[in-house]
Amino acid sequence: MLMMSRREGEVILIGEEIEIVIAHIGRSRVKVGIRAPRETPVVAREVKLVGEENRAAAGLDAGLSAARVLKVLQREPMR
Amino acid sequence: MPVVETKNFGRVEYEAESALEFPRGLPGFEQRRGFLPLHQPENDPLIFLQSLEDPGLCFVTIPVGVVDPAYRLEAEAEDLAAIGLPPEPRLGEEAFCFAVLSIREEGPTANLLAPLVVNPATRKGVQAVAASSGYSHRHPLCAEERAEEAAACS
Repeated sequence: MLMMSRREGEVILIGEEIEIVIAHIGRSRVKVGIRAPRETPVVAREVKLVGEENRAAAGLDAGLSAARVLKVLQREPMR
Repeated sequence: MPVVETKNFGRVEYEAESALEFPRGLPGFEQRRGFLPLHQPENDPLIFLQSLEDPGLCFVTIPVGVVDPAYRLEAEAEDLAAIGLPPEPRLGEEAFCFAVLSIREEGPTANLLAPLVVNPATRKGVQAVAASSGYSHRHPLCAEERAEEAAACS
């Protein structure tokens, strides 16, 4: 992986059309501005994971899933 | 009374005020905004979240407290504000939190990374991705697997 050090306000270019701006550096998080073509999806990685997880969950039969979960809950009662 | 067609429960009549609006949809289902929570005594404590727009779309959810009684909501203030909640809402009063369940080969898992947060006062909801919370999007429901996961994380 390419590593770069940048200061607040500095910019990274990816190809001709994508710009990453280091907008603000806080104590434990940075604020990043992204300029990209409309057709390029830009999401936090977690949001993509959650989308995949939602699609997987939605692909299941709700009734069967519920039965599986209830079985587990009764076998392993939650504290 | 409005009626919704569903794949799992047939035609369901419901009170208009029991429907929930997710103004931004859910990740992966951004266009699905209206959902009806269905709570059936025989499936307690599970709650089905039936789409009002897609008969075939139904999530199985569970109150986060059943999965983890010490669950802490660490949603972004912006996500909470979008449904009219303060940055640190009181769970069970100002806000209700549910986890979407999925089934993997190893067993059921709950998405604690991105709980569904509902504001009962506005009937609005959001799936709040809590990136820095440390919770998993595939939190196992079985005690043994939970112990394994804890060991793997330490």
